[in-house]
Amino acid sequence: MEYFLNQLVNGLCQGAIYALMAIGYSVIVGVVGMVTFTYGEIMMIGAFGAYYVFQFIGINLPVALLAAFASSFLLGIIVYKLCYERFFNAPRHISLLCTIGFSMLIKNLVQIVFGPETKPVLNIIDNRTFTIPLGSAISIDLKLLQIVVMILVVVLAVTLTLFFNRTKSGIALRAVSQNKDAAYLMGINVKRTAMLGNCIGCGFGGVAGILLAIYYYSISTTTWGGFSMKAFSASVLGGLVDLRMSALGGLCIGIVENLGITISSATFRDVFAFGFLIIMLVLRPQGFASKKGSRV
Amino acid sequence: MSKVKELFNKYQALAYVVLLALLCAVPFILPKAVYVRYACNILMYATLAGSLNIINGYSGQTCLGQAGFFAIGAYTMAALSTKFGISFWLLLPFAGILAAFVGFLVSLPTLKLKGIYLSIVTLGASEIIRIIAQTWTPVTGGAMGIKQIPYPELFGLDTFRPKYYYFIFLVIGVVFLFVTKRVLNSRVGRSWIAIREDEIAAKSLGVQTSFYKSLNFMYGAFWAGVVGCAYAPFVNYIEASQFSTDTGFNVLAMIVIGGQGTLIGPIVGSTIVTLLTETLRFLESWRYVIYAVLIIAMMWLRPQGIAGASRSILAGGKIKRKKQAEGAEGSATNG
Amino acid sequence: MADTRKPLLEAKGICKYFGGLKAVEEVDMQIMQGEIFGIIGPNGAGKTTFFNVCTGIYPPTKGKIFFEGEDITGISPEKAAQKRIARTFQNLQLFKFMTVLDNVKIGCHIKTSSNLFDAIVHTKKYRRDEEYAIEKSLDILRSIDLYEYRDTMAGNLSYGMQRKVEIARALALDPKILLLDEPAAGMNPPETRSLMEFIKMLNKEGYTITVIEHDMKFVMNSCDRILVLNFGEKIFEGTPDEVKVNKEVQSAYFGRGLVAGEALK
Repeated sequence: MEYFLNQLVNGLCQGAIYALMAIGYSVIVGVVGMVTFTYGEIMMIGAFGAYYVFQFIGINLPVALLAAFASSFLLGIIVYKLCYERFFNAPRHISLLCTIGFSMLIKNLVQIVFGPETKPVLNIIDNRTFTIPLGSAISIDLKLLQIVVMILVVVLAVTLTLFFNRTKSGIALRAVSQNKDAAYLMGINVKRTAMLGNCIGCGFGGVAGILLAIYYYSISTTTWGGFSMKAFSASVLGGLVDLRMSALGGLCIGIVENLGITISSATFRDVFAFGFLIIMLVLRPQGFASKKGSRV
Repeated sequence: MSKVKELFNKYQALAYVVLLALLCAVPFILPKAVYVRYACNILMYATLAGSLNIINGYSGQTCLGQAGFFAIGAYTMAALSTKFGISFWLLLPFAGILAAFVGFLVSLPTLKLKGIYLSIVTLGASEIIRIIAQTWTPVTGGAMGIKQIPYPELFGLDTFRPKYYYFIFLVIGVVFLFVTKRVLNSRVGRSWIAIREDEIAAKSLGVQTSFYKSLNFMYGAFWAGVVGCAYAPFVNYIEASQFSTDTGFNVLAMIVIGGQGTLIGPIVGSTIVTLLTETLRFLESWRYVIYAVLIIAMMWLRPQGIAGASRSILAGGKIKRKKQAEGAEGSATNG
Repeated sequence: MADTRKPLLEAKGICKYFGGLKAVEEVDMQIMQGEIFGIIGPNGAGKTTFFNVCTGIYPPTKGKIFFEGEDITGISPEKAAQKRIARTFQNLQLFKFMTVLDNVKIGCHIKTSSNLFDAIVHTKKYRRDEEYAIEKSLDILRSIDLYEYRDTMAGNLSYGMQRKVEIARALALDPKILLLDEPAAGMNPPETRSLMEFIKMLNKEGYTITVIEHDMKFVMNSCDRILVLNFGEKIFEGTPDEVKVNKEVQSAYFGRGLVAGEALK
């Protein structure tokens, strides 16, 4: 029972990071209106941005997080200009293929620069564990790392909500995500707003990226494709454009993954993940959301 | 370009014969043995890319998982020939049929899906196939794969040598082109193209889109399976990592760069990408950077690919009217 | 005079709701064989939605559709086409990048039946189908004066010609009923007149035609009977003369206080 609860906690923490990824992904799809294949690489750049902060400045989490957000944000500008802006009115498969190309580009460039080895990411957060008793004989372990991660994700999510609801840019973003033409007619610079939305989504991905590296105590260039899939899956669970539902999707995936780790081996996890995604797309493409956010 | 086409159409039969003769002479006139291997790869990937082109270039669906069907073909040959000694030539069509059946299964969930959902499902299917290949040890050899796949019998020739295996790939390629050309110039082919260009219009004209989309998947998968079956003895040893998403993207790059929606596009793409792969092997990761840049450049400059169908929605969907008299001939350019 | 013939296409109590929006509300309609039937109404009256329900694009929320007496409520567009209900679209759904001839050839789909095997082996069926497709398509193009444009890319033609191509393509179905959604949209007066003549000619050849149109001259001068919709509801169904004098129709179009505008002359 204790083991189960501990796995649940692990799942919540990992799910929180996944939720962050999913939110970022949904922002991009919602505002830009196009689906991307290159989200994994965006997260990777953010993670590496923060990693190099650790290398050159030392262990400074706030600066590193800022660097992660900024690196992915800047990469988002490039992605936007290369893969989205030109193709707003073109058949969808063209921007899709463009993002596939971009993903290949970034992945291999980083592999050239960074090398294929997995490098350690240690001592970012003190390795302290709190044991919290729940009732008579049961207690759960909560690592400081997990607490930090969960608080961070909640703070970011709340900030984003405030941004979308209280600021002019945020409301413009929501307008563009609902109806580009109407937003244009209202005097909103659609192109710049879409780019902003894309970059914010990318930034969130970058933060998620470094959090993953910290959580797994390592960073490499090869694992990001899998995370891209997970971000997509979580977002699909949320109907692709609903942020809260996507976050919920991320949480679910994190929990299911950690609970399922005990049942099957790592390789089959992917089979189940894909199989589950396929089944879900067939039976209920809108996921948790109540209506179809069919942008594709 | 159009002058060449004019000449070609006039003397079509003669041109084909000459072309075929040249192709047959290739393995004997190439100076180095390693070049013959390149030629084999070009031919093989031309057909594999061609099979993907059927799906992506003729029915409006973007399949990312051709590696899966390829794997089915390869493992069918590898497993059944090493375990039961069944002849290559019998397995060739059988591998295709098996792959086609899997293509049918994959098409089922995609019928109601569009765009990226469809693509993700194909990617997922390809990965599931790879993982099954990696873990189903009794049949696929698991992570160890299958070794020493027997070479096909070809008139007593030593097909172990690429010089002679070349003809196996050539025959497969020629048959593929011949059959596919016939299919495309028929009611079936027209239905596929109609679905690609405007699915709603196609439905309103009575084209059963679900049936034809599924058929399209099956046809593309069939040929990928056939190529896979020919691939297995050629490399003599197969294991799951040879059929990863990278392989799938490699084939995708071929049709994106070479051209979608035409029969010649995949051939051009296979030639370019295979030659780049072989000659730039020493560059390793930079190779993929080059492909990536080429893909993005293609999407910007010529979305249908170098030799792709300009007169289709693949070219970007915009029509540029030339300033001419009403109703006169014009051309489609990418917007 | 009571019409004792059975209607070719009949709608009974058709309602189509999109969530809270009532696009079509309780519409009845009967189209008789051999007539030209018009559907008019202000913008947003639900005409195209009603069309879409009749041709299977989406099923009605309530009500039934009958074709030749058979219940076809909720069938798919493919099945509707197979029953030879042909339609054109308001926004033109032409295969822009195909030639005019190829566009019409697709229309021959339901009258041919060769499959993959036939195509590969070039069976007799395949040869027959290919011959049929080309001959029939060329015949249609000749009959509507598009023969010289048969190898032109459809998207390069003028708007009026593109509409004709779409109609030609629909004719390839050998339709029992032809539903045209705003065929004269975007046409200038001479083009509209020529289209009107064309439709009348088709009708003389025996085609039953239903037209959604805004152009009043067009509708009043070509149609045998007219259905008037407003806000998704049926206001009136009758002959052009009856429509002209109907008070409800007049107030729907011209508001109260205005009597018979230029168009009703």
